[in-house]
Amino acid sequence: MTNVPTPILTFADVRLSFAGVRAIAGVSFGVGRQELFAVIGPNGAGKTSIFNVISGVYRPQAGQVTFAGIDLVGLRPHQIAGLGVARTFQNVELFQHLTVLENLMLGRHHHIRYGTLSAIAWLGRARRAEIANRAVVEDIVDFLELEQWRLLPVGLLPYGVQKRVELGRALAMEPKLLLLDEPVSGMNLEETEDMARFILDIRDELDIPMILVEHDMGLVMDLADRVLVVDFGVPIATGTPAEVQHNPDVIRAYLGEVQRA
Amino acid sequence: MSEMMAPPRSSATGHAPAATTTIASRVRDRARQTPDLVAMREKDLGIWQGVTWARYWETVKVVGHALLALGIEPGDRVAIHSENRREWLYTDVGTVAVRAMTVGLYPTNPPAEVGYLLSHSGAKVLVAEDQEQVDKALEVLDQCPELSRIVYLEPRGIRHRYDHPKLLAWDDFLALGEEHRVLYPHAVDERMAEATPDDIATLIYTSGTTGPPKGVMLSVSNVEFAIETLVHGGGFTSPPPGPHDITLSYLPLCHVAERIFTVWFNAGAGVRVHFGESIATVQSDLREVQPTILFGVPRIWEKMLAGVMIRLASASPVKRLHARLWLKVADWIGVRLVARGGEHSALTRLVYAIGWIFFFRALRERIGARRVRYVASGASPIAPDVLKFFMGIGVPMHEVYGMTENTAVATGNRPGRVRLGTVGEPHPGVELRIDDNTGEILTRHPGTFVGYFHDPEATAKAMNPDGWLHTGDVGEWVDGTYVQITDRAKDVIITSGGKNVSPSELENGLKASPYVKEAIVIGDRRPYLTALIGIELDTVGEWAQRRSIPYTTYRDLSNKPEVVGLVQSVVDGVNARLSTVEQVKRFRMLSKELDHEDGELTATQKVKRAVIAKVFADEVEEMYRR
Repeated sequence: MTNVPTPILTFADVRLSFAGVRAIAGVSFGVGRQELFAVIGPNGAGKTSIFNVISGVYRPQAGQVTFAGIDLVGLRPHQIAGLGVARTFQNVELFQHLTVLENLMLGRHHHIRYGTLSAIAWLGRARRAEIANRAVVEDIVDFLELEQWRLLPVGLLPYGVQKRVELGRALAMEPKLLLLDEPVSGMNLEETEDMARFILDIRDELDIPMILVEHDMGLVMDLADRVLVVDFGVPIATGTPAEVQHNPDVIRAYLGEVQRA
Repeated sequence: MSEMMAPPRSSATGHAPAATTTIASRVRDRARQTPDLVAMREKDLGIWQGVTWARYWETVKVVGHALLALGIEPGDRVAIHSENRREWLYTDVGTVAVRAMTVGLYPTNPPAEVGYLLSHSGAKVLVAEDQEQVDKALEVLDQCPELSRIVYLEPRGIRHRYDHPKLLAWDDFLALGEEHRVLYPHAVDERMAEATPDDIATLIYTSGTTGPPKGVMLSVSNVEFAIETLVHGGGFTSPPPGPHDITLSYLPLCHVAERIFTVWFNAGAGVRVHFGESIATVQSDLREVQPTILFGVPRIWEKMLAGVMIRLASASPVKRLHARLWLKVADWIGVRLVARGGEHSALTRLVYAIGWIFFFRALRERIGARRVRYVASGASPIAPDVLKFFMGIGVPMHEVYGMTENTAVATGNRPGRVRLGTVGEPHPGVELRIDDNTGEILTRHPGTFVGYFHDPEATAKAMNPDGWLHTGDVGEWVDGTYVQITDRAKDVIITSGGKNVSPSELENGLKASPYVKEAIVIGDRRPYLTALIGIELDTVGEWAQRRSIPYTTYRDLSNKPEVVGLVQSVVDGVNARLSTVEQVKRFRMLSKELDHEDGELTATQKVKRAVIAKVFADEVEEMYRR
C-alpha cells in the first residue's frame, strides 16, 4: 500500500475508537517527500481523526505513525509540532484581536531560542533573532499576498483571508510536513481558486509535502497527486485522482451518502 | 568652490556635437552627476528599498544590451505588461536607449485585448510581470508571429511548470545582457549616440470608448517638449518639481499621464518615485510615503472623499461632532479659496492654521497628503464639489487637461490662478483654439503626435495638414484665458426637443455624491433625459448597515426601495440646480458593477456608452415607456 520509495510519513494499520465507536479502522498510507496527498470521504468518515492522530491530539489504540523515521505515537502535540509537522484547522483558530503580522510571528514560536531576560534587554541575540523571524514572516506575507492586511486585526478580515493567514502561520513554522484540514471550506469561488494556487505553489516553490483533507471534490481531483478514500474509518481506495474516481466502491460510498441525506 | 574643482563632466554632453537628449540620456547624465542619490524606492518584503541613480543607469544599460542580444533594431517594439515597478522603468528607458519603442499594456487587459495589442504593435519582445500575464500572452501567441521572446519578472508558478521555448526569466535576460556587454562593451552607447529627435520613443494605445485601441506614436522630440513644458515649465507641478520631491506611482504606466508623473518627472527632474506593494495597498503606501506631488484621476479623489465620510459615519459621537465642525470650516475655506483662485486671504489662512492643529493635519496624514504641495487631477472631469473639499482641507488640487495625442500638453490650472470648473489656461508654447462652428478644441505645438501606428486614415482625421490637432473635446473660453470642457464631441446629446445637453456635466453632478459610482445619462433623440445609476458598494453598504437594511449582493442592495429612495434624493438634488429640459426625469439602477473585463469600461475605467446601451437596452426602453 505504501508504494512511495522514501515516505516522509507512514501511517500503518492505525486503529482508533471512542467508547466503542470506530473512528479509524485499520488505515495505512505513506506520503512521499514531494507529494500532495489527499484524504477524502463522506462526513464522519474519520478524516479529521487521522489528522488528530498525526498531530498527537489522539492516541491510537493500535498501529504505527512514523514521521521522518521517528515514531509519533505517544508524543505530545507540541513535540510533534517541534519536529516540523504544521497544521491548519477546519474552523479558523487564530488570535482574533492580534494583527496578521502578530499571528504570523506566533508561528515562529518554535524557532525562538532566546530567553526572557535577553528579550527584555533587547540587545544582540534577541534583536537579531527577532529581525530574522520578521524577515521570514515578510516572505510569507509576500508569498500569500497578505500585504494589504498586514497591520489589521485578524477578526476584521474576510473569512477567506483569515484562512490564508492561518495557512501562513503554519508556513511560518517552516514545516517539513503540512496538514491542511478543509482549507477551502466556506469559501467562495474566487477565494477557492486563490487557495488552490497557493497550495500548488507551496508544493512546487517551497517544496513542502502536504496532506489535504477536503470536501470539495473538484479541488482534490485537480490538485492531489494521490488520494485516499475513507468511509466510516475504513479505507476504500488509494490511488491517483483518475483511478479513484472510477472505483466502484468510491462511487457507492458517495452515492450512498446522498441517499441517506 | 566645489563646482570649480569638479572635473567638467557635465559638459561631456554639452560640447559633443549636440547628441539628441532622450529619457535614456537624461538618466545617464543624472547617474553621472548624482550617482548616489536615490532615484526610486520600492517596498519589498515590508521595507522601502532604494535604487540609486548609478544602479538605475547600470541596470538600464544591461537591459539595453539584453535587448540588443535579442536582436532589437531601431524602430522595433518592446511591450511591457506589468503593474508599476522598477523593472517597468528599466525596460522603458532601456528600450529608448536602443532606439526601440515601448508599448505598455494595462495589467487588466483581458487575453483578447492582449492579443490585439501585441499583434497590432508587432512587438518582438514582451516583458510580462507574472504567471497571470504570461498565461494571457501564451493564449494568444498564434496571433503574434513577430513575438520572439516573453521575459517574465516573477518566476513563481512559471519556473517549474512551464516549458515554452519563448519564455525567458528576468535574471536570465539580464545575464544575456551582461554577456553581450562583455563582447560589445560600447554597443548601447553607440546606439544611443545615433538617436534622432524623430525616433519614436513610445506607442501609447488609447483605449477608445468606441472601436479598437489606436497606437499613438510619440517621438523623442514630443517627449522632450512635454518634459520641458510640463516638468521644467511647471505645467503639471508649479513650482516645477526637483530632486526633493516625492511621488507614488500607482496608476497604470501605459497611460500617458502616469508615464509623465513617473518616468518623465523622474528622468526629467530627478523626482524620487516610489512603488508600493500592490494596487490594494495604495492607501497605506500613500500614508507611508507622504508624497509631495500627487497625481490622480477623479475616481481616486472621489473614493478618498467617500473613505473619509465612511470613517466619519462610524466614529464615536464626539469625534463625529468634532469632524463635522471642521469639515464645515473646510467648506467655508474652500468656497473662499475658489473665489480667490486658490489664494488664501489673511482670514482664511488664520482659520486654516487653527484647523491644522485640531483636525486638518491628522486628516491629511491619514490620507497621505500631509506633505503634498501640488495635486493634479486629470484624465476625466472632476466634480467641483470634490475639488472644493480638497482645497478646503488644504490639499492644493489643480485640474489639468491634455490627451495622449498631444503628449498631454494643453492646459492646466496654476496655483493662485485656479478657476473651478475649467481645465485652466494653455501652457506657454501651446496654441489652442476653439472651432467656431463645432466648438471643438484644437491644439498645435511640438508635442503633437507623429500619427497613429499603421493607421494613416485615422491620423489624417485627427490632424489638419497645418498641424492642428482635433481633440474631440468641445469647449469654450471662460474669462478670456480659461478653457472649459463641455463634453466629448461625440457624446453631446440632442434631445428630440432639439436641446443640446452635455451628459458629462450631469453625470459628474450625480457622481459627486459619495453614494453614486457610475452615472450614464441617456436622451439622444429622446423626449427627455434619463439615467442609469450604479451605486458605490462601500458607502451604500455602510449606509444600509447603519439603517439595519439587510442585503446580500450588489444587485440586491441596488434594488432595495430604501436605496432607490436614496438615489432619488441625489437625483433630485442635482435636478434642483437645472432647468426643466436638462433634468433627469427617470432613472434605473445598474444591476451589476461595470467592469473592464466584461467590456463595459475601457482600461482607464471610462464608460463605453455603446456597450452599455446594448447591455441595458431593456432598462432604457422601460424608462421611455408610458
